[in-house]
Amino acid sequence: MSDLTLRQIEKSFGRTKVLHGIDLDIRSGEFVSLLGASGCGKTTLLRIIAGLESVSGGSVSIAGRDVTELPPEKRDIAMMFQSYALLPHLTVAENVRFPLRMRRRGSREEQVAQVEKALETVQLGHLGDRMIRQLSGGQQQRVALARAIVSGPQVLLLDEPLSNLDARLREEMQVELMEIHNQLGLTTIFVTHDQEEALSLSDRVVLLNNGRIEQQGSPHAIYSAPETGFASSFLGAANLLPVAVEDGPVARLADGQELALRDEETQRGDRMLLLRQEDLKIVPATTAGALRARVAIRVYLGARYRYMLDLAGQRISLTAPNSVHVEPGEDVDLTIAPDRIRLLAR
Amino acid sequence: MTDRREAWLFLVPGLALLVLGFVLPILRMLVLSVLGPDGLTLQQFARFFQDGYYPSILWRTVRMSLVITAITAAIGFPLAYITSRVGPRLRLWLIVMVILPLMTSVVVRTFGWMVLLGRSGPLATTLRDMGLVGRSFSLMHTEAAIVLGMVQVLLPFMVLSMLGVLSRLDPRLEEAARTMGCSFLQTIRRVVLPLAMPGVVAGSLLVFTLSASSFITPSLLGGARIEVLAGSIYKSVTQTLDWNFAAAQSVILFLGLALVLIPYLRLGARHG
Repeated sequence: MSDLTLRQIEKSFGRTKVLHGIDLDIRSGEFVSLLGASGCGKTTLLRIIAGLESVSGGSVSIAGRDVTELPPEKRDIAMMFQSYALLPHLTVAENVRFPLRMRRRGSREEQVAQVEKALETVQLGHLGDRMIRQLSGGQQQRVALARAIVSGPQVLLLDEPLSNLDARLREEMQVELMEIHNQLGLTTIFVTHDQEEALSLSDRVVLLNNGRIEQQGSPHAIYSAPETGFASSFLGAANLLPVAVEDGPVARLADGQELALRDEETQRGDRMLLLRQEDLKIVPATTAGALRARVAIRVYLGARYRYMLDLAGQRISLTAPNSVHVEPGEDVDLTIAPDRIRLLAR
Repeated sequence: MTDRREAWLFLVPGLALLVLGFVLPILRMLVLSVLGPDGLTLQQFARFFQDGYYPSILWRTVRMSLVITAITAAIGFPLAYITSRVGPRLRLWLIVMVILPLMTSVVVRTFGWMVLLGRSGPLATTLRDMGLVGRSFSLMHTEAAIVLGMVQVLLPFMVLSMLGVLSRLDPRLEEAARTMGCSFLQTIRRVVLPLAMPGVVAGSLLVFTLSASSFITPSLLGGARIEVLAGSIYKSVTQTLDWNFAAAQSVILFLGLALVLIPYLRLGARHG
């Protein structure tokens, strides 16, 4: 059964249209990421689901009930804000209890027990009596998470919840979010601009571009089989080169070099060649079937080098282990396994 | 050390003004209030509390100031909240509307109220035509008239004090409250009001002290019958020329205000 249904959601701010007919069905218990660059409409879509923003067209249903016209307090949702939006005049425990009190869930004792449980879940059981301003950023983030899950909402909405944390804490919280999701099984919608976060956390990634769904699917599907140039470049560092697919079958690059393709590649004509940097290998020069490129820039990353290469008039990038030494200005050969080659529409 | 000395130098003009313009006059007033023909005396204070007349004026002053403060806060809060939440253009107009009355003299505005509230004014005429009040009805020379006039005079101070705090309040907090099950009014009560408390306290302090010490509007709208302490002080200074008694009344007003203000300040400190 679908827990959340969006039908033809449209939204305009003045004359600017930010959402163009979004259709989305989210299963009960699913973890869905809305991924996109800033300004793609992902936060607006989340705010529409929450009821903080009205729609210009279309409908929102939660658990089979049309909630399009309902204010946020009448929808069974919880939202975690990017800025956490904790109430500074209340203690940690009072903040977490707030949604239970306002929604009149159970007796005082039951509420207190639930608050304790939620704080335990985010490992803050000992800080219930603190005021919000006495907490670190990471702790505030956990309080916000506890407050969002405490009422067991029908839909949990997370608006870039990890973006204000430093890298180490972010990784920690990602793991914790996954654990909490597995434990509670809440239907979760997670807004992020970080493709890695989206890929590692979700059951399904919905990629938004200019107010439209560009592509959606499992993290694996969307990463390994991007359907558009935008999808491929947004998900992982990908190199895109214009090619002409000819009989052979081969892909002919702008400078005439050829790359052998698998036999089942039957479509001919102008395409986009997608080379993921982790699939490219630097091999000794003059290897048969390799692509010739020239090293432009080398960046030392410790365990690896990042190379910027000129290939067929385009700048591409790849990383290589630090056992491979090529100097800027040198020519190198690149190979890629035929089954890792992807061709997209131009 | 040098920057410390510079900091002190920076303070000198302000300190000098404070001492010359505030501390010395207050001390002078204190001295005057206890100075009799034969040295120090509390005679003036005894005279104030001799019978019920002056204490009743003091009580009226405090009581009316509290009512004025409460009404101003009740009207000012929604106005300030709306002003802080509308778009920048509309906000500018609302602020101009709030400030505009400050640019005309209090006397002029009070005369306006005298016309409106008088026996042949539009209010009394309308009520009389509707048969709700008798022929001699007039709001002039009543406490209600004073409250009405003072609320209008003091509203800008309340609104501006609240506006400062309210516009710094993160609107995300209100949105978060809505997603946690608060209706609009519950959000105001549970989130906005507690967090706006410093502004409410500051505005109330300002309005309370200003209304307790004002005498133009009360004396014009209240007339001779409804006297307030500031008016009584004015009379002692200008009509009976009894400066010692005037000083004693001022000290009492000062202490009366302090008695009300100290708990209020505590309230503000707790929320701030």
